[in-house]
Amino acid sequence: MLLRGPISTPPQPSLRLRATSNAAQPSSQAVFPSASYSITDEDLHSKGFLLRRTAEGLNLDHLNSVFVAVGFPRRDPAKIEVALRHTDAMLWVESEKTRRPVAFARATGDGVFNAIIWDVVVDPSYQGSGLGKAVMERLVEDLRRKGICNIALYSEPRVLGFYRPLGFVSDPDGIRGMVYVRKQRK
Amino acid sequence: MILIPTSSSSSSSYACCSLPQASFNSNSYPSNQSLFLSKSGYPIPLGSRKLKTLRLRANFWESIRSGFVKNNNTTQLVEPPSTVEEDEDTEPVLPVEFTLIERTLQDGLVEEIIFSSGGEIDVYDLQTLCDKVGWPRRPLTKLAAALKNSYMVATLHSVLKSSSSEGDNEQQQQQEKKKLIGMARATSDHAFNATIWDVLVDPEYQGQGLGKALVEKLVRALLQRDIGNISLFADSQVVDFYQNLGFEADPEGIKGMFWYPK
Repeated sequence: MLLRGPISTPPQPSLRLRATSNAAQPSSQAVFPSASYSITDEDLHSKGFLLRRTAEGLNLDHLNSVFVAVGFPRRDPAKIEVALRHTDAMLWVESEKTRRPVAFARATGDGVFNAIIWDVVVDPSYQGSGLGKAVMERLVEDLRRKGICNIALYSEPRVLGFYRPLGFVSDPDGIRGMVYVRKQRK
Repeated sequence: MILIPTSSSSSSSYACCSLPQASFNSNSYPSNQSLFLSKSGYPIPLGSRKLKTLRLRANFWESIRSGFVKNNNTTQLVEPPSTVEEDEDTEPVLPVEFTLIERTLQDGLVEEIIFSSGGEIDVYDLQTLCDKVGWPRRPLTKLAAALKNSYMVATLHSVLKSSSSEGDNEQQQQQEKKKLIGMARATSDHAFNATIWDVLVDPEYQGQGLGKALVEKLVRALLQRDIGNISLFADSQVVDFYQNLGFEADPEGIKGMFWYPK
């Protein structure tokens, strides 16, 4: 995930999403009270933010703009559409005022064991108010509700501190994230 | 799961060439080439017409090859390994299924190691294989679902058959014994990213470069589907293994993170 612009240290939330004894049982229909999120759904709504979990109503050009704004390359919207169709879970925040996406994250995987979270972004104009955290907490929760216990992601060094308080650990047991590097043309 | 086979043929393995006295070495590249291998050494089933031609030639070579194979314990390299130095963009499309190694065993049986990215896998066989490598058991229904939801499932099978290749095809089929000896799978969003999971090779078949071939072919198949970002998570003791296959750990300092790992 890339953050651009002033990154404020998030205040220590009074309630955090923690792994409780429930974590051992991948329950499919457990109800997780929204009070366990650092910002509740109601709080978000009162601030003019709508939570969305499907691609319906998501303007891909607007999403692309957010990607570009945080430093991702601009991508082919047709490819983004394909990617979203084959995404296990997604969560985005829509600004009620502008009707544009202001925060986004998605996860791919096999639907039972593993999931990887990609493309976690918050529009720079809206950073610092807990939207990234709100999206991440809910996405992780949605994945766990499906019974997926192995949730991973690749984090740029600059935002390791964003993911750690959310419960993510880097290189646990010496496991390393690796990426295939294409050979350069001579 | 959406699997897009790269060739239109049904899964049929065909022996493409035999290079006498070639040893299976992932890093070397045999200089003698058979008639119908492309320059890069891959069989070329690009269209059904070419496939038919290949099949004809394969039969021709099979009938001759039996003369080579009969009395030797030769490990014959049927499908040359990849050359990492080659430009990946210009390589011909990998067939869905092809023979990696063909060799004669001491008792006269012929063993073929067949790679397939077609995803045909018996979930019971997979569980047996996972048991063999010592992995904790997972519910079969979940295993089946995970495979179904994977973008690509690559397998290695060992096929044992008697060496009388001139007999009826029906006879031959009855004498074939097929065993799952390796698997690797990848999940993907079909556009940008793919992640490889669950790479395993039967301990009896380890140490022969099969794991390397499995991952290398899977990566190649993913690249040919235009997936730009191929990632995986490696236990510390296999980081070197993947580095040798072209993977880089923590590229640009990017770290793999897990949510409350056990």
